[in-house]
Amino acid sequence: MRILLEWKKTKRTGFVPAFMGGGILAAAVPAVNMAVRSEMYLGRQGTCVWILMDANWQVMAMLNLLLVVAGACLLYHTEYADNGLQKMKSLPVLESSIFFGKMVLMILMSVLLLVMEAASILFCSWHWFGGQAGGGQLGGGDGSVFVIELCQSFGYAFLLMLPCVVLSLLISEACKNMWISLGIGIVCVFTATMLPTSSFVLSLFPFAMPFQVFAGADAAWTTRFICAAVVELVVLGGAEVLIVGGRLNEFFIAS
Amino acid sequence: MNFLSLLNVEFQKIRRSGILLILLASTVILWIPSIFNLDLNFHMQAEGISPEYNFFIQGFMAMSWFMYPAGLVVGTVLVSQTERLNKGILKMLALPIGTVRLSLAKFVVLLVLSATQILMMTGMYYIGAAICSVMRDYNFILSPLFVMREIGILFLSAIPMLAFFWMLSVCIQTPIFYIGIGLASIVPSVLMINTKIWFAYPMSYPFFVIVSEYGKLATNLDTAQVEFVPWIPVAIAITVTCLCVSCLCFGRGERR
Repeated sequence: MRILLEWKKTKRTGFVPAFMGGGILAAAVPAVNMAVRSEMYLGRQGTCVWILMDANWQVMAMLNLLLVVAGACLLYHTEYADNGLQKMKSLPVLESSIFFGKMVLMILMSVLLLVMEAASILFCSWHWFGGQAGGGQLGGGDGSVFVIELCQSFGYAFLLMLPCVVLSLLISEACKNMWISLGIGIVCVFTATMLPTSSFVLSLFPFAMPFQVFAGADAAWTTRFICAAVVELVVLGGAEVLIVGGRLNEFFIAS
Repeated sequence: MNFLSLLNVEFQKIRRSGILLILLASTVILWIPSIFNLDLNFHMQAEGISPEYNFFIQGFMAMSWFMYPAGLVVGTVLVSQTERLNKGILKMLALPIGTVRLSLAKFVVLLVLSATQILMMTGMYYIGAAICSVMRDYNFILSPLFVMREIGILFLSAIPMLAFFWMLSVCIQTPIFYIGIGLASIVPSVLMINTKIWFAYPMSYPFFVIVSEYGKLATNLDTAQVEFVPWIPVAIAITVTCLCVSCLCFGRGERR
């Protein structure tokens, strides 16, 4: 119900088409890369998912991040633009439930993005790697391993994207003006691009996590990141409840 | 109302916007990794570039690739959204001021924001270089004349891109589309500078110019050099077209 309401609010804001367009753009990255210089990648060692992710994931993750930041800004901009949030606050609904409704919507959109990107990786490995490097035979035999690897890679990417989704929504909720939340989000993305992906502590920054690749990394490394992502999600969710709670208290004191 | 007082009004509108803080934060973040990775500057013999030039150009490359164009996108959002909030633009359009002049005044504000960002970057560069010089007992500070030349080129090369972003924000009413198109168009600039048609893509100009400067400073590195003949006419054509379209379309959505 709450999510349906948030969905209705995004009508005519271009939210869904933007994610669709961004998804198509991100999905085009590996296809174009392979079409232009496939000879660079075909002879490499390793599974085709690893080769494709290694070659393209940095650009794709960056596009995902920028979409998430812009989408989060938009979701709260629609509320702040004509004082919609004030009206929502006067309704008998918890303010944090608005946040979680928007969060679910963003998560659904991220799933859509990742599915489009996974389809593109699937297409590239079928078209260019057909038969080699673990790709190609999608039905049974070697192919089942390939499908599992693809699902694992994108499941991992999805989990590591969640803290960034929550944090960018938190930033957008905190700033009334769209350019401030957009500016902060972009500065965060820029910081993430400056951090080395090989350092565990620095990669814990929520905006730097989506740049991690599952394929090719060892199990201990990915397990640490999965744990870190869950911890960050809990912390950020708690922060949201606390911030809103603090604001409610302020309201009661003021009245 | 003459153009100068119109400009004054536009600057007053963004006075409390907090954009300067965001730009300042990005420039501080830019130079911190450079200071921490100071040692890398001394291991660039393969490229044949001296440490002080490497320190300067690496920072400027990082900036001109993403943060500088993205900062301009945020600037266009600021300039267009401050007035769309609370329907301020309708009041402006009701005044006896030509929309063309209004649009141009806003574009000048954007140019000033762009210059401010570069100047902050340069100021931070000097602070960072001074810190590094003290840490290493090696002079990292370059002559102001050289730095002025570089930042001048960077500023000029960004004008077509800025005109394009401004046209997007004027012509597209839904904010997410012009933000999305603006940000998404920055990402492929890394690929575009390696192609022969880079001059047709205004978003790649600042990065291309800085990379070609890097090639000039590093004796062993061969990067594509700026060729003025197809570039300057195309850049001027893009700028003029974008500005004309934005002047024509300005306020059209609101007047409907």
